[in-house]
Amino acid sequence: MRDNLLDVENLSMRFGGLLAIDDLSFSAKKDNITSIIGPNGAGKTTVFNCLTGFYKATSGSMFLNKDNKKLDLKKFSDFKVAQKAGVARTFQNIRLFPQMSVLENMMVAQHNKLMIASGFSILGLLNAPSFLKKEKEAVEISKYWLDIINLTNRADDNAGDLPYGDQRKLEIVRAMCINPHLLCLDEPAAGLNAKESAELNKLLLFIKNEKKTGILLIEHDMSVVMGISDHVVVLNYGKKIFEGTAKETKNSPEVIEAYLGTED
Amino acid sequence: MEYFLQQLINGLTLGSVYGLIAIGYTMVYGIIGMINFAHGDIFMVGAFVALISFILFALTSIALPIVLILTLLIAMVFTACYGWTVEKLAYKPLRKSFRLAPLISALGMSIVLQNYVQAAQGARIKTLQPVIQGGFSFFEDGNFTVTLSYLQIFIVIVTIVLMAIFTLFITRTALGRAQRACEQDRTMTALMGINVDRTISMTFIIGSSLASVAGMMFVMYYGVIDFYIGFLAGIKAFTAAVLGGIGSIPGAMLGGLLIGLIETFWSGYISIEYKDIAAFSTLVIVLIFFPTGFLGKPDIEKV
Amino acid sequence: MNKNFFQSSIKDSLFTGLIALALFGPIVGLRTVAVNEALVVQPKWLVVGLIVLACTIGRFLINIYTFKKEQRRGEPSSISKIITNFLDTKGAQIALGAVIFSVIFPFMPFADRYWMDIAIMMMTYIMLGWGLNIVIGLAGLLDLGYVAFYAVGAYSYALFAIHFGWSFWICLPLAGLFAGLFGILLGFPVLRLRGDYLAIVTLAFGEMIRILLLNWYDLTKGPDGLTGIPRPSFFGLPFKRYPDEGVETFHTFFGLEYSPMQRIIFLYYLILILALITNFFTIKIRKLPVGRAWEALREDEIACKSLGVNPRNTKLTAFAVGAMFGGFAGSFFATRQAFISPESFTFIESAIIVAIVVLGGMGSQTGVVLSTIFLIGLIEVFRDFESYRMVAFGGAMVLIMVFRPKGILATRKPTITMRKEK
Repeated sequence: MRDNLLDVENLSMRFGGLLAIDDLSFSAKKDNITSIIGPNGAGKTTVFNCLTGFYKATSGSMFLNKDNKKLDLKKFSDFKVAQKAGVARTFQNIRLFPQMSVLENMMVAQHNKLMIASGFSILGLLNAPSFLKKEKEAVEISKYWLDIINLTNRADDNAGDLPYGDQRKLEIVRAMCINPHLLCLDEPAAGLNAKESAELNKLLLFIKNEKKTGILLIEHDMSVVMGISDHVVVLNYGKKIFEGTAKETKNSPEVIEAYLGTED
Repeated sequence: MEYFLQQLINGLTLGSVYGLIAIGYTMVYGIIGMINFAHGDIFMVGAFVALISFILFALTSIALPIVLILTLLIAMVFTACYGWTVEKLAYKPLRKSFRLAPLISALGMSIVLQNYVQAAQGARIKTLQPVIQGGFSFFEDGNFTVTLSYLQIFIVIVTIVLMAIFTLFITRTALGRAQRACEQDRTMTALMGINVDRTISMTFIIGSSLASVAGMMFVMYYGVIDFYIGFLAGIKAFTAAVLGGIGSIPGAMLGGLLIGLIETFWSGYISIEYKDIAAFSTLVIVLIFFPTGFLGKPDIEKV
Repeated sequence: MNKNFFQSSIKDSLFTGLIALALFGPIVGLRTVAVNEALVVQPKWLVVGLIVLACTIGRFLINIYTFKKEQRRGEPSSISKIITNFLDTKGAQIALGAVIFSVIFPFMPFADRYWMDIAIMMMTYIMLGWGLNIVIGLAGLLDLGYVAFYAVGAYSYALFAIHFGWSFWICLPLAGLFAGLFGILLGFPVLRLRGDYLAIVTLAFGEMIRILLLNWYDLTKGPDGLTGIPRPSFFGLPFKRYPDEGVETFHTFFGLEYSPMQRIIFLYYLILILALITNFFTIKIRKLPVGRAWEALREDEIACKSLGVNPRNTKLTAFAVGAMFGGFAGSFFATRQAFISPESFTFIESAIIVAIVVLGGMGSQTGVVLSTIFLIGLIEVFRDFESYRMVAFGGAMVLIMVFRPKGILATRKPTITMRKEK
């Protein structure tokens, strides 16, 4: 239990008459990439929305182990999940700031620490050297991540003008700028071709190994899931039907039935 | 007790007028997701058309019931033209634009309508001699006489009849079905072969017609109108639409009655100068605490 | 053009004429006039006939123009592109030129009382536009009740000055802070509302303030307004023709002939400085984290939340800062007029300022200046035409939204770049 990054226990989410998540329990270890897979409508994004404070779970609990402290994620609403609990996420339908530049997107992610550095704008208005220094550091951090995904030469272009694959990568490194403990990615490989998926795998492995950030991943692309997952959780109709390693998942009869059905 | 009854009667009458206007707001919001800022001024135009009609008919010796019916139809037809034109000019081109664009355009249209009527008809208030007079009196022996005027009965009956016709239209006819379909999913409706533009135009025409009836009732009831009544009535009717649940037509009428009662009771018991503040405060309270209103559907944003 | 097009075009134009007849027939054609306490109808068929004719022919011409335009498909509208490019590239130089012009304006030969008054009025609207630009343009919050803060600033300045006798230089910042506080109070419950609803609520607040000012006689003297608001002085030197005993006035101190223009020119520079402060503040704060958060919030609030940005506090800051500048402008208004009444703070003022911001191009400072000159100029030039000019104003709002919804100056430059700008 102690080296688990995330413990989800008996999570349920009900929308009126629809039970989207039904008594879900699973764990994700530190330094692991855990994938949540399942047919469409299984409730995967709903799990994310509960974890990241966008929905209020009907019942159950989610515990994040951060710095040897056990945080009850249900107590963090909205933006506090990212700000205080250190859980970052990306979205199924990419949510960048399209009319702002790539660099500006990265800077917004570093908002909270820059706000403090700017003395809630007072120091900023006075061009205080302490603020300027912190701002420079933030630009350096942005450059670091943009170098990794080869977008530094497009740092001043509008985020909305980037090709689709680059937008996906940008959303991920932008999320990394808040120094998260847990990174939740919602279908990061959607719409990527084989080459781009391979690059995505590289990026995620880099994040896991070098940055020691736990990754929770919703995916349909099996090359990504099987390629880099340490742990897989399979959902169907809001229920967990299997949990294990990638290899075990591939061979599990329940999983095969959920995706392909049984022989009559 | 008598005083209370009188306020109740007055409030329900006023509420019917607001309800008719509110339906226009709620229909437009339901189908294209925007607040038609100019709708209150459509109501005002309806009042003016009715006024002109009454003045002209007064020169003839046509019987009163026929005058009423004809004025009703005249107001509806001409005001519907205004609603249709406003939609075609100011809203249709902006259907794909960002959220604020149709709102600003509507604001502009509202300014145009108000000042256009002012320029064409003169800035001074217009008065109308009472068209329907007399009524029932109750409790005459006490200090206060309760009156239920024929006009008030007329207003409520017309409102009920229109609501019935309208509800039948929405639920039974093909056009009504098309409208409900457009409210749910415009793209899909278009793919089913339904003329979305015509459905939206129809919505505006119906909404404007109902608002014009409200205008006719208003000018008969108060006997005084000017080019500014649309602004105030519009805000109150919009409050009514939200209170009843935006997108719900019975809700709009319910909300209208409630707002009418709130305004009348406030004027009657507390203060008449601040009655508009009561209406605005209701709006603020409703939007902050009851944004989905009584009969509305909750709005869950997909993340 | 083939025959089919011609036929359908004619049908279309006739239909337009018919609609025009329905629209203008009753309202324009049958004017109600009061004769001996009763209303009679005066027919104006000639006017209606002309309007209908104009609509019919106009529609026909538009059809031809659209048809011809489609034939030349692929050629972007060249004139509009030239203007946009010019404005975008030379923006900074235009801005500098404008500032220089406004500084030397009072000394130009044609700058008489009339033009100075116009200039002061324009500058006030520009300042209000820049203030509201923070709320609408940067943070994307549609505030239709901005006049409320203008009013709070004006009335609190007046009340501070009249009842406590503090000097202009104390009352002005106080009034602005008061307005800012008001912005926080007003904003707190409503800023989580969706765009349209926020718009209506702020409109309601604006009207409530006006009704309150109108009816709270003890405090505000209601419709009578507040008079005797002290006029500003040049750092202690009053602008009076006949000074009080032993008091130096502006003109005696500087050894000049007394002229009423001296006070006007001082007022002009005052509003110019206030406006420029608003402008510099905005430019600076866009580059700070809070300004960037405003723009990010405008783009995508959910993404902001996922990055740990506190949407409520961020929105409140924009609202309060915008309110504060509105309050400063209100203080200036009070001291310039020496008399204020609720009549100056109607909804139409809010609508004008919103139009200025949106038409200028959301977030664009230069755009605000251009649209103010255009819109206020429109209102002023046609001052004799009363209601017609407001019809033109509303019409301009609709036309610009339909044809150029992004406003005059639509492009946005990033606030921080990796590469140094050339």
